[in-house]
Amino acid sequence: MEPKLENDNAVALIDRSLAFWEIVSVMTSCLIAEWVVFSIGRANPWALAVPVGLAFGFMFMSHRLRAESAREIGLRFDNFIAAARLLILPMCAAAVVLVIIGYATGSLSFRRWTGSQSILGLPALGVLWALMQQYALQAFINRRAQVVWGPGLRSVLFVASMFAVLHLPNPLLTGVTFAGGLLWAAVYQRAPNILALALSHSLMTWVLISTVPEASLNNLRVGFKYFG
Amino acid sequence: MDINGLKLFRILVAKSIIEVFFVGALAVGFVLSTFPPYFHGWGEATPQGIEGWVVNYWAPWDRVEVQLFIDGHFTATGMANLSRPDVVAAGWAKDQWHGYAFVLPKLPPGNHEARVYAIHESANGNRQSLQLVGNPIRFAVDQNGKLTIWTIHLLVRTN
Repeated sequence: MEPKLENDNAVALIDRSLAFWEIVSVMTSCLIAEWVVFSIGRANPWALAVPVGLAFGFMFMSHRLRAESAREIGLRFDNFIAAARLLILPMCAAAVVLVIIGYATGSLSFRRWTGSQSILGLPALGVLWALMQQYALQAFINRRAQVVWGPGLRSVLFVASMFAVLHLPNPLLTGVTFAGGLLWAAVYQRAPNILALALSHSLMTWVLISTVPEASLNNLRVGFKYFG
Repeated sequence: MDINGLKLFRILVAKSIIEVFFVGALAVGFVLSTFPPYFHGWGEATPQGIEGWVVNYWAPWDRVEVQLFIDGHFTATGMANLSRPDVVAAGWAKDQWHGYAFVLPKLPPGNHEARVYAIHESANGNRQSLQLVGNPIRFAVDQNGKLTIWTIHLLVRTN
């Protein structure tokens, strides 16, 4: 029995190492898009398609090789209500805090999103954009983090940290995405439903841009774009 | 490692290699478009000021915009479009209209250094870069505010 146990341990270690490398690889693509393409490659409009295409292509291939179904990764409807129930209370609490901040700073305006200052000015695109982010963050990074550390606090903290890192150097967005990342990663581990998370993500983004002073958000810019 | 693990490993390696080449290509493209190696020229101190010429070999009929910095501070900007038949005669340019001349502002007595830069626009005009034309030009100004040292550049092609 002992040699088999050793073999099992080795397989598990290799699997964890591969999963960690997968996370690093997708994060690298995102950081290349945010920092390299927007700084030295923005003259070529197709340059952004390379890291984005590589990241999504890789994630799809990884799902196939690990035999993960769409249902397993959270593209499903049966647990939508369960996920929504877990989300609603923390979302309401966060929204109340943000509305109080908006009221106190005089920047409360729930129609600001119509100003089309960013892609989030259009609700449909806002949900689509949130869906893409939540897919990468939860259906991929969260699942691989669970392979490395198992479900629980460590993997949830890791996912939230990765989400925050992708919003550097915007200080406000880095903070709020870490907080949001904690909630969404924890909810995903209990009720994996990407659609519920995407709706929550776009809704909270709308509340954030409607309440927080515009200057502190810097048009939701992240990466190299933050500087100009 | 099972067969799918091995495939995943290979895909990760391939993706990493593609990204390295992609970032490398972007970096090379950025350097070539921002600091293109086709500006050539020369400058010298004369009793009148700083004079010289600059040619853009990529567009030899274009006039190049130049900026003068003295002791590291921006001093003046101008277009290199003055007549320099000696530059054509030496084989450096296809036409004579590549000269520039800057009259120096009042400078304190002592040693100074002038640098002339060619301005280059890239990224659809969103980015401007400065490239040093020739070597830094060292000169001195006397108590009366006149240039006391200047060098005479011989137009001898060396390459």
